[in-house]
Amino acid sequence: MAGEPAIYFDGTSSRRRTATLAFSDALEIHGDEGVITRWAYADIRRADSPSGTLRLSCQTAPALARLEIRDAALAAEVTSRCAKLDDHHLGRRGVAKIVFWSLAATASIILIVLFGVPLAADRLAPLVPEGLERRIGDVTEKQVKLLFDGKVCSNAAGQRAFTKLVNALREQAGLDPSVQTAVLSSPVPNAFALPGGKVFLFDGLLAKAENPDEIAGVLAHELGHLKHRDNMRGLIYNGGTSFLIGLLFGDITGSSALIFASRTLVTASHSREQEGNADTFAIELMQKLGRSAKPMGELLFRVTGKEGGRGLSILSGHPFTEDRLARMTREHRPPSGPPLLTPDEWVALKNICRTGSKV
Amino acid sequence: MNQFAWTPTNPPPMPVPPPLPATLEFTGERKGFFDLVARGAGLELITLGFYRFWLVTDVRRHLWSNTVIDGDAAEYTGRGRELLIGFLIAMAVLMPIYLGYFLVGIEAERWQALASFPLIAAFYVFGQFAIYRARRYRLTRTIWRGVRFWMDGSGWAYAARATLWGVFAILTLGIASPWRAAALERYKMRHSWYGDLQGDFEGRGWELFKKVWWLWPVTPIALFIFPLLPFLYAYYKAVEWRWWLSGIRFGEVRVQSTLEPSALQGLYWKVIGWSVLFFTVFGILIAGAVPLLTKLSEAAGPDAVMQTPAMIAVTVIGYLALALGISVVARLYLSRDLWVRVLASTTVTGLEAAANVAARGDLASALGEGFADGLDVGGF
Repeated sequence: MAGEPAIYFDGTSSRRRTATLAFSDALEIHGDEGVITRWAYADIRRADSPSGTLRLSCQTAPALARLEIRDAALAAEVTSRCAKLDDHHLGRRGVAKIVFWSLAATASIILIVLFGVPLAADRLAPLVPEGLERRIGDVTEKQVKLLFDGKVCSNAAGQRAFTKLVNALREQAGLDPSVQTAVLSSPVPNAFALPGGKVFLFDGLLAKAENPDEIAGVLAHELGHLKHRDNMRGLIYNGGTSFLIGLLFGDITGSSALIFASRTLVTASHSREQEGNADTFAIELMQKLGRSAKPMGELLFRVTGKEGGRGLSILSGHPFTEDRLARMTREHRPPSGPPLLTPDEWVALKNICRTGSKV
Repeated sequence: MNQFAWTPTNPPPMPVPPPLPATLEFTGERKGFFDLVARGAGLELITLGFYRFWLVTDVRRHLWSNTVIDGDAAEYTGRGRELLIGFLIAMAVLMPIYLGYFLVGIEAERWQALASFPLIAAFYVFGQFAIYRARRYRLTRTIWRGVRFWMDGSGWAYAARATLWGVFAILTLGIASPWRAAALERYKMRHSWYGDLQGDFEGRGWELFKKVWWLWPVTPIALFIFPLLPFLYAYYKAVEWRWWLSGIRFGEVRVQSTLEPSALQGLYWKVIGWSVLFFTVFGILIAGAVPLLTKLSEAAGPDAVMQTPAMIAVTVIGYLALALGISVVARLYLSRDLWVRVLASTTVTGLEAAANVAARGDLASALGEGFADGLDVGGF
């Protein structure tokens, strides 16, 4: 059954040759000057082609050698002889394999995010050299000061009172004197701990506070973060989960929204846990000093108001303020120790950011 | 289809190179492409994105093998597995780089707050390198008449040019952009080959500038009047395609495009229209699910119902369906239909120069594609 129309490209040049085919024990491709080449049926594979054209390659021929058959009857004839024509194609089984391994990879990434990364963060955080942690702390300190436009308040009398309060808490907490603390002149009612043993209190929170125990509780909470090295743990944890979740969702359309959402969920739960632990630490520390953490809860409630029903609790990095207050109220004991600051010292602390002599 | 005239006893002689410009046509069926991308998007969601390597390969295979130049269709021989391996290697390279970036950033910030910003520029350079290497991968998988296209040149040399031209373009507030495009295209095309036929690019920055200069003062206005922006973008893309295609040379082979500046408007607006529709449906779904679930779960109010697992499930599934719909529509209009329109406007002259080209060039690895994927600078 020789002599059907076909076009042959030998894969070493772009020369387009008209060919005729002959079927013997192999596929014979004939040109003007006789047999050009012979392709064993078992080596023939289908190559991509427009519909209506059968395009073949051969595993033992040059990789780009192509035989094109545009006659349907001839194409059917060739197809029937080449049993392994579609062997190299990604069939249903190939796709199933991709799906299976993707799901396996997904499952392992999820397990790592849920169990591996928190474990790694807990184990690695204490191993981070103090120098590195201090450097990271210096960087964040600069950014925070830039961001909140905060200057350090150093009114002498206020500073004395602040130092007294911090030292009382720090010694009871068993932290060494390298802890750096300062009040920043920003109206934002907040306080935070930075890596490398830094605690900053914003003047805005002082303005809302009504007694020393409220501020002492907040500082105790931040010292709790230092004690637990929550910053380094958080850094390792956030870095790890961001990377893994980014890897997981890769390139799906709108993946950045997915990445953002799932990362928020995961890291918020981790952060809620850390905040809860820091609260525990603050409650215990205040009790050791013979004071109560309940005023801290009242201060927070004054700042945020009732939070429940306003946002998604699973998206929040803190437990709801009312829940924290409720907990601190439950753990409340009437004060048994001396006040942490005298009334005069408290007034001085409240005015730490006033530069004038008027106290 | 291309029926071959043939007489059994007298095989036709070597086809005489046609004196007229060779035509380009696209023979793929739209339905087939739609099925391919719809199925691919579904698999991409099931596999949480890992299927992307195979989907992108299937899209290219479809477009390439249905692009018929002078009666012979091209072929794409890349495979999804290559892209996956390229991606994994790129990840292995990028991970320590990200870590190093983090540490260097700390040192820089310690010296001065926000001083690590210039490091982002390093990623821009790396992204340009990735673009060049990804193009090389795609080109070496492009086959026509049994001979592959290929590229030499250096990804880093390209990245350096792209960055310097980029700085120049920023300094001139974008006016130098057409010359930047021309210079970069010249570098890419002069290092592109079809067998032993060297490529070249004859498009001039000035020609592009003449057509698009008025966009420069108009775009800031369009940023405030939203519906103008897609018009401008579609105009720019059409002009750019025409300029780019008309500049391509391979030896004596010359490409010419007559694409009208308005040719792509409809495609972009269709994508926008479908996206708006999908978003509306998504909004209605959420808006409808809230009262329904409030009733069913007897929750305290709309805020409480937002936190129920059922509502979160509805939101997530709705969102994924939205993403799937938009990705299918974008591929259908902006990959396939756009390519078909561009192709229909294009002719090739001097193809006889490519009638007997000797094969040359080796395959390039998919590492560049992996970097491009990792850095989000992907091309076609």
